[in-house]
Amino acid sequence: MDIIGIDLGDLMNERVIPWQPTVIAGPKQALLVTPETAKMMLKKAKRPLFVVGPLAKEEPILTLTKEIAEHWDLPVVTTGDAYKIFKDAGLDSKQNGIVEIVNLLKDPEWKGVKGEGQHDLVMFIGCIYYIASQGLSTLKHFAPHLKTLTICKFFHSNADASFPNMKDEEWLKYLEKMKTD
Amino acid sequence: MVINVAPKSTKPKDFKDDFWKSKDIKISIGEIAHDEAKGGEEDVKMGPTPKPNVTDLRSWDMKLIDRYEPFYAPFCDMCCLCTYGKCDLTEGKKGACGINIEAQQARMVLLACCIGAAAHSAHARHLLEYLIEKKGEDFPIDMGNNVDIEAPIIRTVVGIIPKTLGDLREAMDYMEEQNLHLLSSCHTGQEGSNLDFESKALHAGLMDNLGKEIGDIAQIVALNMPKGDADAPLVELGIGTIDRDKPVVLCIGHNVASGAGVIDYVEDQGIEDDVEVCGICCAAIDITRYNQHAKVVGPISKQLKFIRSGVADVIVVDEQCIRTDVLEEAKKNQAKVIATTDKMCLGLTDMTDEESDKIVSQLINNQIEGALILDPDKVGEVATKVAMQIAADRDMLKLLPDMDEIQKVAHECTECGWCTRVCPNGIPMMEAVVAAGEGDFTKMEELYDNDICYTCGRCEQECEREIPIMSIMAKIGENKLKEQKFNIRAGRGPIQDVEIRRVGAPIVLGDLPGVVAFVGCTNYPEGAEDVAKMAEEFLERNYIVVTSGCGAMTIGEYRDEEGKTLYERFSGDFDAKGLVNVGSCVSNAHIPGACIKIANIFAKKPLEGNFEEIADYILNRVGACGVAWGAYSQKAAAIATGINRWGIPVVLGPHGTKYRRLYLGRTDKEEKWQLNDIRSGDVVSGEPAPEHLLYAAENREEATVAIAKLCIRPNDTSKGRQLKLTHYIDLHRKYFGTIPEDVYKFIRVEKDIPITYKKDIKSILEEKGWEPRALPQEPSIRDFPDDSKAEIQGK
Repeated sequence: MDIIGIDLGDLMNERVIPWQPTVIAGPKQALLVTPETAKMMLKKAKRPLFVVGPLAKEEPILTLTKEIAEHWDLPVVTTGDAYKIFKDAGLDSKQNGIVEIVNLLKDPEWKGVKGEGQHDLVMFIGCIYYIASQGLSTLKHFAPHLKTLTICKFFHSNADASFPNMKDEEWLKYLEKMKTD
Repeated sequence: MVINVAPKSTKPKDFKDDFWKSKDIKISIGEIAHDEAKGGEEDVKMGPTPKPNVTDLRSWDMKLIDRYEPFYAPFCDMCCLCTYGKCDLTEGKKGACGINIEAQQARMVLLACCIGAAAHSAHARHLLEYLIEKKGEDFPIDMGNNVDIEAPIIRTVVGIIPKTLGDLREAMDYMEEQNLHLLSSCHTGQEGSNLDFESKALHAGLMDNLGKEIGDIAQIVALNMPKGDADAPLVELGIGTIDRDKPVVLCIGHNVASGAGVIDYVEDQGIEDDVEVCGICCAAIDITRYNQHAKVVGPISKQLKFIRSGVADVIVVDEQCIRTDVLEEAKKNQAKVIATTDKMCLGLTDMTDEESDKIVSQLINNQIEGALILDPDKVGEVATKVAMQIAADRDMLKLLPDMDEIQKVAHECTECGWCTRVCPNGIPMMEAVVAAGEGDFTKMEELYDNDICYTCGRCEQECEREIPIMSIMAKIGENKLKEQKFNIRAGRGPIQDVEIRRVGAPIVLGDLPGVVAFVGCTNYPEGAEDVAKMAEEFLERNYIVVTSGCGAMTIGEYRDEEGKTLYERFSGDFDAKGLVNVGSCVSNAHIPGACIKIANIFAKKPLEGNFEEIADYILNRVGACGVAWGAYSQKAAAIATGINRWGIPVVLGPHGTKYRRLYLGRTDKEEKWQLNDIRSGDVVSGEPAPEHLLYAAENREEATVAIAKLCIRPNDTSKGRQLKLTHYIDLHRKYFGTIPEDVYKFIRVEKDIPITYKKDIKSILEEKGWEPRALPQEPSIRDFPDDSKAEIQGK
């Protein structure tokens, strides 16, 4: 379909080509989700986990991330050096390297951050794109017991479900929607 | 029971079982290595594994990867190595050959390690034969008065004490044979177990270590490079140090032979003051070890910037880490390229047997686009003559577009954003180009500084308007030429035995908090400053900081507020607060070499053929940690994996996950950390130390804390443990704001508690229900008495 010279097919492709296009790994690609679908996944999950990386330290993402975690009462793992700033902002979390938490998540016997059992949904925001992509690949291959969801402004093809590539303005609207039921 | 069906190496062994390791059994095994230089008085008893075959150290590998389980992050969901494929390996599916995703990842890691080991070792073989041809096979291996253990890796792995260049051939032959078997197992339908692929990768890493040691020893003794000299001179570093008014010969790569050929020719002609000889990457390090008048342009991240600047009149390339489009890039400003090794011929005509003047003439008159010359001496003559003859005519080619022109082309940007998306680090290139189009060059300068942009060039080829982004970057750099002047201490080579005697005890007892080695390439996630800042942090905390290659150059490019580089602020001693540049990539061998020497000189452990005991000693007692922050090449994969096999943990930057495999420990599985106290015969509970063997951190802050923790060892005395924990806690508080919650795992007895944090830690211990435990006297992960281990595991 062509409207005023813009091919909508191209526009759609643009949203679901991995942000770094060469991370395409093979035939299994993430499902493109909206905030509504993402929220349904959270509602359905019995033991969700929120993994927050250092790219979420800047405002307004920091506050939005905190509010999303609080709204859904999610246990939080912070990676990189994100722990301190979120603690100062009033959000308690467990500090882990991203490879450490992924290593734990892939073990079906691990008891989860609360000791209540392995998680069944892991939502990511703010991890460095390419290391997150590698971690998502680990979970794609070795953690059939859980689903992965990314709510960054980048499409993550190695996740089970991902927001599309977006500009900041649209992404902030998406995150605002994640704060509500 | 393992059935060994692998081909035997050149030195067959009789004893493969573990019975000889048992307590109270004393037997003499294998050959005797004669130390003829000492009148044959020192007959060295051969240990159990001289020239270990692919499977001979497998039991050690399995111990390591039982504790540090491989963590796979597939870079690709498929296998495309054979024509059955591509095969989809997702969702538990296997390939047409039967391989699964884990084994495929491990196979790719092995392949990378084989490539890396081959690169270092082929380099070493070339150098060795070249130097034997020049100096003779009887040329002595004399590492100076302060280095008696001249080849710790060769001694431990091969079981020989090399006395001459010719002796190194035996080690080389062995290494080459092993690498052949290892590469063979990557073939379709060979190995099927990911764990055995891992064991083979560890063996390939060890072979890499061996190849590097052969190469560096050969060049140190034959080219009279510094021999463990802590006061090696400071040499000039930086794009701004190159005199653009002189003819410039640039050497890129790793093999010193051709660069040395250039320096020899320039010296023979007495024209040192008339020609600039400089280098990028390890070739730069090694030509300055050969002759301190040569200059270091910088690490690999400077490559495209400097070539685009047009300053180099002649570019001499040898091997490894060179841009493979160097010829195409050189043509853009009519620089001349001379290829010098069989590894990189670039499609150029082999002119080795032609007269030098004829080659010079053909290059100057553009009759040939470059030349392949496999004779280093001829390379020296041709490169120098060409540079001297074309430099004047190239003056105008050394001028990049002026700033007005740059603004004009940058203004063409359509803001599609793909330059940022294809950037390995996703740096804000589009914003910088847009700003440049508006006459604001500060954003581009920010990317230039500290190599935040390491000029891979992916952005430029993606640009729909063909904006020459890399040339803009090079031009921006010219604006900052005066600031691009630094220094680096010339690579010193090995650590002296006397230094090991001085620091061996403090390291093993933990009084010296650790040895941190910054090595590897420069594809840094957020620029070069991160590495320098980590080095500075640990130097100021009394750690020994060792470095090599591009990491060493990166550290030299950082100045403090007073304008001093770290090399000016800290000595080159292998001691607390020492900043030790061992040299180039091949000099990395001296880092595990120093750890091996600690086991030998301080603890009197015999080396020859005794790999497993030495590695076990290092793992449990030597608080060393490697850091490859900008991990990039297959060589880096081999280096890290080899280091791991010696029991030394390595921290990678975030790109390191693309190697597909890490070795991670699980602190929640206490049984994984049991130790065999060899002295008492008891199996005791241990701490997760080191917690991981190969770890990837997301950013500098996380890495810094991880490094401090990874220097903790089971053998630490209480005083040493206090010191190490103090640094770990200090850094955790600095970057995470809290005392680490896992600190209780590292407290064995109350005396381990750092006084500064006593109250807080006691509170944590109480909360965790902590109880004191015994300190092992000789911690080991070998030779567990099976029954007692089972008993403890049963608890």
